[in-house]
Amino acid sequence: MATDTGFGSGMREDLYAVLGLEPRASGEQVERAYRFSLELYGEGALATYSLLEPAEAETQRLRVREAYEVLSDEQKRRVYDEAQGFLPPDSPVLPFRAPALTRGGEPELPEVLTGAELRKIREARGVSLRHIASVTKIGMRFLEYIEQDRFAFLPAPVYLRGFLQEYARLVNIDPRRTADAYMSRLGSQS
Amino acid sequence: MALSVSELLPSAAPATSRRQIWSIGGGKGGIGKSLLAASIGWQLARMGRRVVLVDADLGGANLHTCLGLPAPACTLADFIQRRVGSIDEVLTDTPAPGLRLISGAADLLSAANIKHLQKLRLINQVRALDVDVVLIDLGAGTSFNILDFFLLSDVSILAVVPEPTSIENGYRFIKSALYRRLRAIAPNDSVRDLVDSALDPKNPYGIRTPAELIARVASDDAEAGRQLRREMSSFQPRFVVNEVRDTADVAIGHQLVAACGRHLGLRASYAGFVHHDDAVWRAVRRRRLFMSDAPTSRAAEEIRQLTRGLVKGEHLGHGY
Repeated sequence: MATDTGFGSGMREDLYAVLGLEPRASGEQVERAYRFSLELYGEGALATYSLLEPAEAETQRLRVREAYEVLSDEQKRRVYDEAQGFLPPDSPVLPFRAPALTRGGEPELPEVLTGAELRKIREARGVSLRHIASVTKIGMRFLEYIEQDRFAFLPAPVYLRGFLQEYARLVNIDPRRTADAYMSRLGSQS
Repeated sequence: MALSVSELLPSAAPATSRRQIWSIGGGKGGIGKSLLAASIGWQLARMGRRVVLVDADLGGANLHTCLGLPAPACTLADFIQRRVGSIDEVLTDTPAPGLRLISGAADLLSAANIKHLQKLRLINQVRALDVDVVLIDLGAGTSFNILDFFLLSDVSILAVVPEPTSIENGYRFIKSALYRRLRAIAPNDSVRDLVDSALDPKNPYGIRTPAELIARVASDDAEAGRQLRREMSSFQPRFVVNEVRDTADVAIGHQLVAACGRHLGLRASYAGFVHHDDAVWRAVRRRRLFMSDAPTSRAAEEIRQLTRGLVKGEHLGHGY
């Protein structure tokens, strides 16, 4: 379960994060990330032996194998995604049709924003989720779902748009464009 | 055109604006920092930038030798000891148009030999140099002066070779630099004390990583935690893996970035790698820079790619 403490070891515990992946990663990405992570935590691996105790590296290897076992199996992954609120990798997510975004040299947001990207912007600006929740009265859970791209757990588009705009105001980015860029991934529903 | 997310984040802007300070550190000696500095500086000058290389290697200033120059008559020591009034007077021309050198003095940045005011004067004059890029070869070690130059840089390059001692020193260097920065912005004594104790691996709080330190600070003082987190996310060292010999060595850079992110909570990036190349060694023997001596060598091509990437603020993707 992700928390507002942000980044670092053990903060985002979902199986995708264990492999350094985002939800909706392709099967091939899962394979490559798995091999990469096994090497990263291999016995005496150069990049981690001085950061992790041998027992911690072993724990990481176990978590990597567990994550892979679920994410590499179509059936298990579908069940997992459903329980976690992630859309399955083969679900149609339509490309965004940008309504003329460029205007008079103002700073622009990207045309497509993921939850992880929103989180990066928010953290870089030092705004906590708890702060957003307390000002906007939006439940922490929903704010976390937004940043985790758990689309299936998010409210109807009309509410989601409102949430995103409130979020954007507190992070000090353009509310309308933030909502557009985030919801672009939901295709025509927005 | 829409901007990418990275451009909205502090210090992730591409390195194209005027007068930037770049530095190359790495903690360990003998991993090719001086050659990297000389060749990246050389390539930047080839790309039309006005570049000053600053040799701050306390293990023995020899950047001039990398460039095929005799020891310059005037060095940084003359500036620091006020034997010359301005840093411009210790600039030496090199055979490469647009590339000049400020030669170092042995032990220049070691803590004992440069006082705080001298350092400020040096930093101010380095910042005021009328050039596009000041590229500092930090040399070995993690003394405060070295860390400070790394921290004030717009582009902070961390050089490693794929060997245990170098990687260990690289991590130590990153942690020391980050903690020094967090300490400097700590809003009060209790936060400062926590930062200090985090440096000791056996600290009573059980804090082992920067991420844990910040979580601990935030649990007492949410605002201080936010400040530290903001500072931490603007600290983005760029790894260069030197002397790679095979694809497993190249992958080390990706692993370092992943380990920094997952276990230190740090956003590092992988700027590039340079293969072990006999052409480099042959050029060194002739006291020539391989960039001009062996421009078609693999290492020279990799330096060109690396430098172009650094200028654009690009890095290598993790490939999965």
